[in-house]
Amino acid sequence: MEAEEFSLVRDMFRTFATRFRSGTADVDPAALDAAQKALDELGLAELRRTSHPAATAQECALLAEEHGKQPLGTSTLGTVLLAPELLRLLGDDTPAGVGATPTIALARDLRFAGADTSELVAWDTQGADSALAVAADGTVTSVELGAPAPGIDLLRAVRAVPSDAPGKVVGRLDADALRRWQAYALVIVTSELVGAAGAFVDLSVEYARERRQYGREIGSFQAVQHILADATVLVAACTSATRYAAWSLDNETPAAALTAARVAKAEVNTSALEAVHSGMQVFGGIAQTWEHIAHLYLRKVRLGATILATSADLLSTLAEPEAAR
Amino acid sequence: MTDTPLEFGDPSDLEQLRGEFRGWLAEHPLPERGADEPLPVFLHRWHKQLHSGGWVGLDVPEEFGGRGLTTLHQVAISDELGAQQAPGVPRIGYLAQALLKFSNDEQRGRLLPRMLAGEDVWCQGFSEPGAGSDLAGMTTVAEKRGDHYIVRGQKLWTSYAQYSNLCLLLARTDRDGVAHKSISAFVLPLDRPGVTVRPLKAHNGDDEFCELFLDDVRIEESELIGSEGDGWALAMTTVSYERNALDTGHLSKYGLLVERLRGIVGERGDDLPDGLRSEVGRCFVDYEVLVAHTRRRIAERIAGAEAPFDSSIDKLLMTRTEQRLYETALKVIPESLYEDGNEVFAEYLYSRAASVYGGTSQIQRNIIAKRILRLPSGK
Ligand SMILES: Cc1cc2nc3c(=O)[nH]c(=O)nc-3n(C[C@H](O)[C@H](O)[C@H](O)COP(=O)(O)OP(=O)(O)OC[C@H]3O[C@@H](n4cnc5c(N)ncnc54)[C@H](O)[C@@H]3O)c2cc1C
Repeated sequence: MEAEEFSLVRDMFRTFATRFRSGTADVDPAALDAAQKALDELGLAELRRTSHPAATAQECALLAEEHGKQPLGTSTLGTVLLAPELLRLLGDDTPAGVGATPTIALARDLRFAGADTSELVAWDTQGADSALAVAADGTVTSVELGAPAPGIDLLRAVRAVPSDAPGKVVGRLDADALRRWQAYALVIVTSELVGAAGAFVDLSVEYARERRQYGREIGSFQAVQHILADATVLVAACTSATRYAAWSLDNETPAAALTAARVAKAEVNTSALEAVHSGMQVFGGIAQTWEHIAHLYLRKVRLGATILATSADLLSTLAEPEAAR
Repeated sequence: MTDTPLEFGDPSDLEQLRGEFRGWLAEHPLPERGADEPLPVFLHRWHKQLHSGGWVGLDVPEEFGGRGLTTLHQVAISDELGAQQAPGVPRIGYLAQALLKFSNDEQRGRLLPRMLAGEDVWCQGFSEPGAGSDLAGMTTVAEKRGDHYIVRGQKLWTSYAQYSNLCLLLARTDRDGVAHKSISAFVLPLDRPGVTVRPLKAHNGDDEFCELFLDDVRIEESELIGSEGDGWALAMTTVSYERNALDTGHLSKYGLLVERLRGIVGERGDDLPDGLRSEVGRCFVDYEVLVAHTRRRIAERIAGAEAPFDSSIDKLLMTRTEQRLYETALKVIPESLYEDGNEVFAEYLYSRAASVYGGTSQIQRNIIAKRILRLPSGK
């Protein structure tokens, strides 16, 4: 996409996100439906759908980052960015047996599915009518959506996948396409977490500029300044790693892109969480209440640290030189 | 920092350059360090060898002895040095940038090619016994006497001054003015009468630091860099580049050790104590994040969108990478604790300095809080 064109898309998305952000943890289902409808009308699901995608992976990652900045309950990741990319990797035509608005399905613990795909959950299901699961061998299956499943992220709808309704195999990714898929999924999820951590740290900086104790702004205390400076460094690290991984998807081999994506996820799993913890500390008591939006960010980032790949998975894999893996 | 898509360079172009470099390395074997050869002397030999192949100052304009390529090319070479287990790139990037920005054309033409070629070896005389973090408190004075200056004072921590012939010196040209206007920068040849260099032994046994005594040293007007009062801005430029792992050539040094640790995990992964495998993974992540971060900052530098105080973020990330890496190395290579003069242990000790030199970590946090986050100043 041309730079100006992308700016327009991003501004459009920002306007949408600001308008439909949730200011409370008590998410209203009607408002959520309206938001998802407005999102669908933006037509972003077409961005990556064709063999010559209209948007680069880097641009999609930036949209996911935007999504993370606001407390939003819409399925931008699942139905708009992830499932269409998976269909693109399978080929130009939508395979028979895929619903009109699929999202993705993951293992029960929200990590990438292993060889056994009998226990899955559909992830990010707001507005979705089915889900696509990728098994460890690259087999892609379309599955049905069951009952709502519980989860700590109040802004993300998750549904059970009924175990009595076998999914339909709709295609298969070869080894390189599977790497691309994993790298892309890691980058999109990671980007959202980067957006969330960065925006929350920004909010806490604003708060530190205004909140007064002992007759002065708390942001003038060096102890508070250093907490926020460290959080800023962590957000910068997450951003750099993720942006680079996104660029690698557009420019590097699938293996190199997957390594960069794993590095980004490993960084974000710890650093985005630590940055949110820091922001909550600066907010003091107010951030520990149900009413304050701090816990919406914390929930997203805390759960996000386990999604697709945990630190334990990644650090162990990355500890060895590539050839030895 | 920018929120638009970034260009990190054309991989095929960079790959070609790396290929050429590997080819050159294959024909020019790495030098071996002599048993008693001090590290700076060894690195200086390596610097000259690299320069003979055209591998120093890739991003310095050709007219000043460089290759006129982009900083991305310099990153690729730094990276490749690490991958090829070679000593690091000469640490002159930040000095070259300061000269490019502040000296006049005559000085650039005279000083830069010799700096790149390793014909001149530079040191940096900023800190003083009473002026470390608070550089504005410096008391070394350069008094104007017609067409020259007379300098009096003392510098401290001047790294490798005993192996250098030139010093980038800061001194006050106006005793009473505010720091930001009264400090000037000079090129001081260290063989001038009145200059005494006294080495100080560092905690790892190396003789890196020096004290520099300046007793009525004559400095010519042509040795003033920029104008009187430019010293503060020049110092800020120098340290901001010094806070970037690329400009200091540290990336390749880290890359080398990270790969060594990963190699050990590959060979005897299962014998390592619990958790150590993950720690090595974490070091690899730190390193790769630092590389990605450096690339992003370079892409911003090339696009002209670089924010000056962001270098404090770079420095803290670099420090994180270095300190965790050497701490982990001591665990993965335990003999480093039980051998006299072990190099890994010496590097570990040196890694503790990462949070001190170039501005301490606390000073970097102060800068981020005040200049980037614009938090209110303390009373
Ligand atoms: C290996 C090494 C190489 C060096 N090489 C050079 C060189 O080549 N040329 C050169 O000019 N200098 C060099 N230095 C000096 C270096 O820049 C100074 O050591 C550094 O700026 C700190 O100054 P200081 O040592 O006087 O410590 P101080 O300024 O006395 O600081 C002591 C402690 O107080 C803290 N502190 C001070 N002020 C504040 C504040 N406002 N807020 C919070 N905490 C604060 C510091 O963070 C530190 O923890 C080198 C130092 C090292 C370790």
